[in-house]
Amino acid sequence: MNLRRTVAISRKVLRSLRHDRRTVAFLVLMPIFMIAIFGYTFGGEVKDVEVYVVDLDEGVGPVDLSDLIVTHLRDDSSLRVVQVIRTSDGYADPLAYGREKVSEGKAWGCIAFPANFTSDMVSFSPGNSSQADAATVTLYLDGSNFNIVQTVIAAVRSSISQVLAQDLDVIQPVNVEQDMVYGEGRGFLDTFAPGVISLAVMMVTFMISIISFIHERTTGTLARLLSTPVTEGEVVGGYALAFGLIGLVQSGVVLATALLLFDVQVEGSLALVLLTVFLLGVGMQGLGFLLSANARTEFQAVQFIPIILFPSILLSGVFWPLESVPEVLRPISYLLPLTYAVDGARSVMVRGWGLQEIWPDLAVLLLFAVAMLALSVVLMRRR
Amino acid sequence: MESMTMVVRTEDLRKEYGDIVAVRGLCLDIPSGCIYGLIGPNGSGKTTAIKVLMGLVRATSGTAEVLGRKVPVKGKDARVSYMPQELALYTDLTVHENVQLFAELNGLEPSSFEGREKEVLEVVGLWERRDDLVGQLSGGMQHRASLACAMINRPELMFLDEPTVGVDPELRAGFWEHFHSLKAQGMTVVLTTHYMDEASRCDLVGMMHRGRLIAEGTPDQLLKDSGSGNLEDAFLVFIRRCQE
Repeated sequence: MNLRRTVAISRKVLRSLRHDRRTVAFLVLMPIFMIAIFGYTFGGEVKDVEVYVVDLDEGVGPVDLSDLIVTHLRDDSSLRVVQVIRTSDGYADPLAYGREKVSEGKAWGCIAFPANFTSDMVSFSPGNSSQADAATVTLYLDGSNFNIVQTVIAAVRSSISQVLAQDLDVIQPVNVEQDMVYGEGRGFLDTFAPGVISLAVMMVTFMISIISFIHERTTGTLARLLSTPVTEGEVVGGYALAFGLIGLVQSGVVLATALLLFDVQVEGSLALVLLTVFLLGVGMQGLGFLLSANARTEFQAVQFIPIILFPSILLSGVFWPLESVPEVLRPISYLLPLTYAVDGARSVMVRGWGLQEIWPDLAVLLLFAVAMLALSVVLMRRR
Repeated sequence: MESMTMVVRTEDLRKEYGDIVAVRGLCLDIPSGCIYGLIGPNGSGKTTAIKVLMGLVRATSGTAEVLGRKVPVKGKDARVSYMPQELALYTDLTVHENVQLFAELNGLEPSSFEGREKEVLEVVGLWERRDDLVGQLSGGMQHRASLACAMINRPELMFLDEPTVGVDPELRAGFWEHFHSLKAQGMTVVLTTHYMDEASRCDLVGMMHRGRLIAEGTPDQLLKDSGSGNLEDAFLVFIRRCQE
């Protein structure tokens, strides 16, 4: 091995960087960007999970223990108590009202205290009473997100034990019953599957699109296509259709694997899941095209991949709920199309929702796809 | 020439890329049914001129007409075809698949495609290799495949940008034979080349230098006007004249 020749090769590599300022910027800024996103996301705890409280507790004389627990629930930063519904508020069926909020997707959970909550606690005597005699809190939960379920349960248990230990200084059991409005018997995989399917399709359509368009441009095939009667719209539309189909086949394969190997279930319409993923694939293809138009070389084009992929993986609710994304990064979450695909696909797969419930997600994805494709056409015309 | 139909007409055509003027004041009149050679060294503006005529880049000023339609035309014309300087074919597709793509984009009827494909691929000597991936062909064969794609739709006018660059002498001779047979069929071929010896095989030659057309005429006329023995010397004479 000749050192001089080896150094000559190294120098050639470094010299070519000198002519590509964007790549130099990428090499410096990308690690900063990554560590910042990872740091903020992993540092983030689940916050502000929206819940309703139905407090039917009649208390015993002046004592109302549910009120004490609710005070602690309000102080818990992982929850945001939207409303506390009491008997005096005049609802015909407060429990049904609270449960409905969960089934409508307005809240992740409803925490219900029965009329005899305080009285059951007061009459409980550790020596003579059994667990069944203990006071009971019922949680009506949206089980479509495993992390959220765990967070609500943990917050309720912690508030109860704070009341028992600090306020009352007693030790006695309180039953926390769970009633799943959605996702009965579901676990981690059911929460992740819709996200992973969307993520897989997004990654593939985006990456293939960005690479194949830069290839079309640098090899001159794009110019050659456009020298024929084919229009810019037809080129973009043709690509969109092909990539949408690739996305569909891919999501079909991932979905089938999840269903067969991991016993993931689909409550709602399979076609609706595929439609969601199809729209995402088409939109990401358009984004890939737009970004590749801003790159001179294949090397510059691939630099866009991590810039889009990392925030999507971490901030779209694929693995962690949006509630765990720090406030500062939340706007990015809402800018990422994957967020809407994951929400839509998860709602269909776990909650069994239909078009009338998930249409806002589909509308965003459709708008994104149309905007990306339209911009691609405009950009191609402005050559 | 006035009595002939002009397939290409440009008036004071100019194209700037930032500070660089690629084409300056180009006036062309190319009659139908001839082989027109745009000759000049690399960087003289030939490719840019062709790209403007194909509507692939927008002229900075001036006007151009191709087959009687003002450039850039809205909705490209299948009567015009273009073979770029670079390969510009899909190397991951077979010869047949590439040819079929350009046939479809140019609106060739599927019923007439098969016969036409055989005709064109036999002319370029690739009929036996039609199911090979373009990426696996030799450089010369790839070039011929590219020419086949430009011819598949029976265009009236073909723009060929440096069709013979990097082609071996034997194949070059074959190409020229083919250009003359296209002309015999009534087609107009506009090609660029920086090989001066190729200019003598054209009916009409336009010599370009630094974005300008410095001389135009039949090869014989150009030799006579310059008083030179070959076109290479003639080119140098014309450059000198326009610098004086």
